[in-house]
Amino acid sequence: MMDVIVIGAGPAGLAGAIASANSGLKVIVIDEFIKPGGRLIGQLHQERSGEWWNGIEESERLHQEAITLSVDIRCGVSVYNLEKDGDLWNVHTSIGTITVPFVLIATGAAEYPIPLPGWTLPGVMSIGAAQVMTNVHRVQVGKKGIIVGANILAFAILNELQLAGIHVDRIVLPEKGPLSGKAGEPEEVMKSLLHAAHLAPSPLLRIGSRFMKNDWFRKTGMKFFPKNGVKVNGTPLLLRKAAIEVIGMKQVEGVRVADTDANGTIIPGTETVYEADFVCIAGGLYPLAELAAVAGCPFQFIHELGGHVPHHSETMETPLEGLFVAGNITGIESGKIAIAQGTTAGYSIAKHAGKCGAVIDEQLNQAIQNVRLIRMQAAIQFNPDIESGRRKMSELWEKLYEKPANLHSTQKLG
Amino acid sequence: MNSNEAIVVCRCEEVTYGQLRTTAEEHQCTAREIKLRTRAGMGFCGGRTCRIPLDRIIEDVLPNVSQGDIPLKYQPPIRPVSFGTVGEKND
Repeated sequence: MMDVIVIGAGPAGLAGAIASANSGLKVIVIDEFIKPGGRLIGQLHQERSGEWWNGIEESERLHQEAITLSVDIRCGVSVYNLEKDGDLWNVHTSIGTITVPFVLIATGAAEYPIPLPGWTLPGVMSIGAAQVMTNVHRVQVGKKGIIVGANILAFAILNELQLAGIHVDRIVLPEKGPLSGKAGEPEEVMKSLLHAAHLAPSPLLRIGSRFMKNDWFRKTGMKFFPKNGVKVNGTPLLLRKAAIEVIGMKQVEGVRVADTDANGTIIPGTETVYEADFVCIAGGLYPLAELAAVAGCPFQFIHELGGHVPHHSETMETPLEGLFVAGNITGIESGKIAIAQGTTAGYSIAKHAGKCGAVIDEQLNQAIQNVRLIRMQAAIQFNPDIESGRRKMSELWEKLYEKPANLHSTQKLG
Repeated sequence: MNSNEAIVVCRCEEVTYGQLRTTAEEHQCTAREIKLRTRAGMGFCGGRTCRIPLDRIIEDVLPNVSQGDIPLKYQPPIRPVSFGTVGEKND
């Protein structure tokens, strides 16, 4: 029998498998995709230090290390249910049911769209899909593209598309409304972009990071935001233009946009059409927590972490005996954090399994410190308030699960 | 009809923004109820694509409801599987 099943062969899952296997446990890793690495294999960017972060190489390194430790990795396999049976977990997969004492859910995140008229036309895709096609499948997504939605993920992938020689013509905002939320409000977008100002070689954004955190300056900045946008890696970012509709007969032919005021409200009579043969919608990411939910794990909505996240401790355990989580399911952060969390979860599982004696405490402690260190060193955050989100979860955990004899209520999904 | 009304929000079940909005307004309902009434989120992808837009519609229509108060239920199987697989009759 296996000791541990890891669901998801991304950075968190592979790192978790490695740490567990290193501690003497027998580990199987399941992944839905045809090859391991998860979203790591889409990543390619230059760090501030000048070094390149090559996700394909990173995932290959993790994959090889796992194989060396005799981790059984099965790709192209889906998990459709997870249930507790006495002291064990039954993990129902497309290749049968696997029974184990320990489960690590490392399913990462999913993208959410911002639906707009015409978004079902061929040629419209999520920004993440453009990344996978470009960096994983090596397929050119189109000749001239428009990104709808300005966020960190969009900028990172814009850069990757450019590296692949794909022309992204413009970045515009979605139309303000219930479906777009803050992504349609220029001022809110500006606020979140200021945290990534060093990515944008524009004086306005760079100066912005210094004093535009003040509301008055920000409003003024929006009012005078240049109509033709500021350039991000050479691509105009148009915070005062909103995408109203994707147009085309049988496939994308362009995007109808209109000028907006500083609040994102459309100015009538300003409509124009930008030609394009592909459109990327950059909505955002949310923790993909389905399996933790069907397993019966309690959840908390924490905006800073990207949505509903399973209750978990800093050692990556959930309130359910034998169930652990790591990576973006616990909150939207970088692949490096996911690796560090995976390692923590792997040692945490080994500790619960009674492996490695006294040394495991030291390893676990070091792994937790490492997560904090990497978070501190991160150049950019998907959510600038990530620290506060992490703190909320750890306070919640302490309140609910660490004080003995404390009757507590928890929120379940469903 | 306003073109926004015709936006397909749930692509699997082809449910439009207009239908969802009308349903939410008429019944002042939860995410679960809107799902049962319109089938939005009940298609092949299991609601992974339209979950957040659905929550946002509810949040917008219902006063004093925020995304944090909207737990949309997950049910197994969370991936499309054949009856044979669920019945454990694998060849």
